[in-house]
Amino acid sequence: MLKGYRKYFFNKLGWFLVTLVFAFILNFILPRLMPGDPVAAIVARMAQGMSDATGVRAIYQQYTELFGTNKPMVEQFFIYMRNVLRGDFGYSISMYPRTVADAIKSSIGWTIALQFPAIITGWLIGNTLGALAAYLKKGFDKVLMPISIFASNFPAFGMAVILMVIFGVTLEWFPTSGGYGFDLIPRFDWRFIWSVITHYQLPFWSIVLVSIGGQAIGMRSMAIYELNADYVKYARFMGIKDRKIIGYVFRNAMLPQITGLAMALGTMAGGALVAEIVFSYPGIGYTLLNGVMGQDYPLISASTLMITIMVLIANFTIEILYGFIDPRIKAVQAD
Amino acid sequence: MLRKKLMAMLGAIVVLSMMMTACATPTPERIVETVVVKETVETVKEVEVEVVKTVEKVVEKTVEVMVTPEAEEGALPRNETLYFNGQQWGAVVGWNPYSSSNNNAMMGTGGDSHRATMFETPYLYNMLDGQQYPLLADGPWSWNADMTEITFKFKAAAKWSDGTPVTAEDFAYTWDTHLKYNTGVGAGNKEYIDDIVAVDDKTVVIKAKLDENGKTINPLLVSAFVSSNIVIQKAWTQKLEERTGGDETKLKADPAEDVVYSGPYHKFFADDTKVVFIRDDNYWGQDKSMWGKLPVPKYLAHVIFKDNAAGSVALAKGEVDVSQQFNSNIQLLWESYGLPISTYLPEPPYGIGASLPTAFYNLKSYGLDQIAVRKAIAIAVDYPTIIANAMTNQSATFDQVPRSLMNPTPGEQAMYNHDAVKDLQWAGNDIEGAKALLDAAGIKDTDGDGWREYNGKKLSYIATCPNGWSDWQAAIEVVAAAGKKIGIDITTNYPEWSVYQTVVTKSDAPLPEGYDIFMMWSAGAGPTMPWGRIRNMMSSEWVGMASNWSGNWGQYVNPRADELIKAIPGETDAAKLKEMYTELVKIYLTDIPSFTLMYRPQSFHAVNETVWTNFPHQDDGSKPPVPPLDCTDGWGIACLYNITLVNP
Repeated sequence: MLKGYRKYFFNKLGWFLVTLVFAFILNFILPRLMPGDPVAAIVARMAQGMSDATGVRAIYQQYTELFGTNKPMVEQFFIYMRNVLRGDFGYSISMYPRTVADAIKSSIGWTIALQFPAIITGWLIGNTLGALAAYLKKGFDKVLMPISIFASNFPAFGMAVILMVIFGVTLEWFPTSGGYGFDLIPRFDWRFIWSVITHYQLPFWSIVLVSIGGQAIGMRSMAIYELNADYVKYARFMGIKDRKIIGYVFRNAMLPQITGLAMALGTMAGGALVAEIVFSYPGIGYTLLNGVMGQDYPLISASTLMITIMVLIANFTIEILYGFIDPRIKAVQAD
Repeated sequence: MLRKKLMAMLGAIVVLSMMMTACATPTPERIVETVVVKETVETVKEVEVEVVKTVEKVVEKTVEVMVTPEAEEGALPRNETLYFNGQQWGAVVGWNPYSSSNNNAMMGTGGDSHRATMFETPYLYNMLDGQQYPLLADGPWSWNADMTEITFKFKAAAKWSDGTPVTAEDFAYTWDTHLKYNTGVGAGNKEYIDDIVAVDDKTVVIKAKLDENGKTINPLLVSAFVSSNIVIQKAWTQKLEERTGGDETKLKADPAEDVVYSGPYHKFFADDTKVVFIRDDNYWGQDKSMWGKLPVPKYLAHVIFKDNAAGSVALAKGEVDVSQQFNSNIQLLWESYGLPISTYLPEPPYGIGASLPTAFYNLKSYGLDQIAVRKAIAIAVDYPTIIANAMTNQSATFDQVPRSLMNPTPGEQAMYNHDAVKDLQWAGNDIEGAKALLDAAGIKDTDGDGWREYNGKKLSYIATCPNGWSDWQAAIEVVAAAGKKIGIDITTNYPEWSVYQTVVTKSDAPLPEGYDIFMMWSAGAGPTMPWGRIRNMMSSEWVGMASNWSGNWGQYVNPRADELIKAIPGETDAAKLKEMYTELVKIYLTDIPSFTLMYRPQSFHAVNETVWTNFPHQDDGSKPPVPPLDCTDGWGIACLYNITLVNP
């Protein structure tokens, strides 16, 4: 048993590492394949109004040198790899002279604080409702299903804008933009904390509401499928207690949902974009978008590398957990 | 039975899951815990060494805030804070006035209408009357008899934030530093300025570069230098040089939190969501030789909005006092919603146009080397639709201000002979005229497919501008529609800005496919205008530059225009100047290397008078007139000394 699990574990770990290496290489190469020249954008900011060709060229050369964009791609890759291993992601091009590390650090806290509770809440509520619908059926199901389908088909920005218009602009219950009051300076007092809380509501619920529907639908179909499975009928014939059967059913129905949760957590940074833009919420999604717009290779590579690693870790953890939750998977994979 | 239990259990899970979001629900103890933890993490995250300084500074300054009676803890008192939008679009990256990549817009690092909040220029330019008013300087500057040297003095009262006087040596050393470290200012002016010398403590001489005949190469640019370039303290510069070991890149990348400044405001707070400046109550400008008082708002605060829409919402809600962004259909804010919001002019175009967003022709594209084709497209375009849709009427029309190379300000309009070019100007929508013009040139639809051919080849073009620049995209669509009406196939394409700017500014090779008609900007108002703008739009000196951020992106060459552009800066006779400008307008409207699509203000300037009032408006009686430049730019900063509270 344990030997089988070890084999399963190392197999997964091996694949994890292989994927990581390829992801690392792609993270480096893909942004750099975009047409255009990011250094030209920096020079643009400096050279406006400059009428001297040699002066512009000198500045251009200085920055291509600094960002290494004049070197062959392979050489750039090895420099990048060496720096990343040292934990140095270098200067951001679009926010020069800010470093990539600084740009990510100052925004990622907001994103995690917004997304993590929102994803977990949406997932829990959604699955609970889905399971309830499958089990209780009748009126509950008939009401929940259409609502879920309706809500889950809302594009995220649509939901965000609707919430903003209703609760922010019309009712004025909540502020419409920013991470805290426009007139505040961060410090540890009630006013500031309260401001953070009120600014948190609209982006938070815009994420939660959109995710509930999809989760509920998924959970409902899985649960209905399992409830009608032969093993359930067989268990009933055997006279096994309902509670025990429900235990089996939901454990099986949960599997795909757990994968979904892991993916949602892994792609947190990218998923944050819509809520962050609509509500001017400080966060990594918007930082990344700006990086892409400004062809900020170091920033894009660092952010995508971070997302990749998060997804891989989430995936890896799930696969390892699967081994425990569902022995069939382990058995198949270990053979 | 079980079903009921399960219901209860699931109900409990729902409740539990809601509690997991406890930081979103106001239960006191929990919140304190959660937020405190998060904040500690964030403090650690700040830039390693600088963090100590920032924190110290904030703490030290907040003490000051608490002294003020109305100041509530942690909050900026609304009655002492002027809020902005549209100037700062990302977290500020530093406070270094030598760094040309510094995005700290509210700080101001020079330019035609310099933003003198933190750093000051010797003179301030006023776009309304075209004058340069002394700021750090004492009285007007003057040329010597040969027009090769400019002399001016610094005010005796002018002081740095550390209390030391602003000297001529500071100005000279600033210039030397720009040259030594090859900054934008240095590289951009060294062809025109030979040297800047401190004659005595207060007197400065700017020596112009001379041509082979001993005449100043460009007197206009030299005289503009005094109002567009800031003075930086010598002692601090030396400290910076020492710290960075004379390394050019390091010197420009230094965040310079310790910078010494002469202006009325300086850093109070900055993070990813806002930047706040606080007034220096020891500011030298309260001396009678300058303003005679301190600027009214104690704080200038700029929240960083993600887009125009977010900024517009904040303006409507009264969270922004001064708005420098494009607010679509701004008149609705007062007409439909009755908000106390206003613009410089009460009626369209609401502001004073200063720059000319323009469509350039790629003169090497097939058929676009023909003046008839260029003119036909240009006169067929429906400009009123562009102005109504893309600009929501925040631009003068071409009936109100006929096209030339001048912006709509009275000063520039007076610089050419309107009657002499009347026959060449057009206001658009002239479909029949365009068709007749093409027919006369023999450019007709010969194969019956509905599109015209030139020498047997169909005329088909791509019109382009950057993706997401919605007002420009709307304008380009109207240009394409005009082509279809006159039998020229124009389609649109919108590459990302990062690609677009690289292609368009590469003037050392012909433009690639897909860039037949493309949009770019022109210079706004400034002491070298309209000459500077005309040079940007028509001079062939830009053709051949690998990175051309000046103009003439369609690569137009006309020796007579070059000659005139070269001669104007040295010309002092007003009548002659008018003649020369008129000739340039004539050439431009005849050859049509590019055509202006709309007028755009120097800054969008809308104010919400919920808290503050007495902002500059047309005919407000201010002398000299305060320009609508957001209370910060050029002479517009005078607004900060004039505004008053609605409820004092």
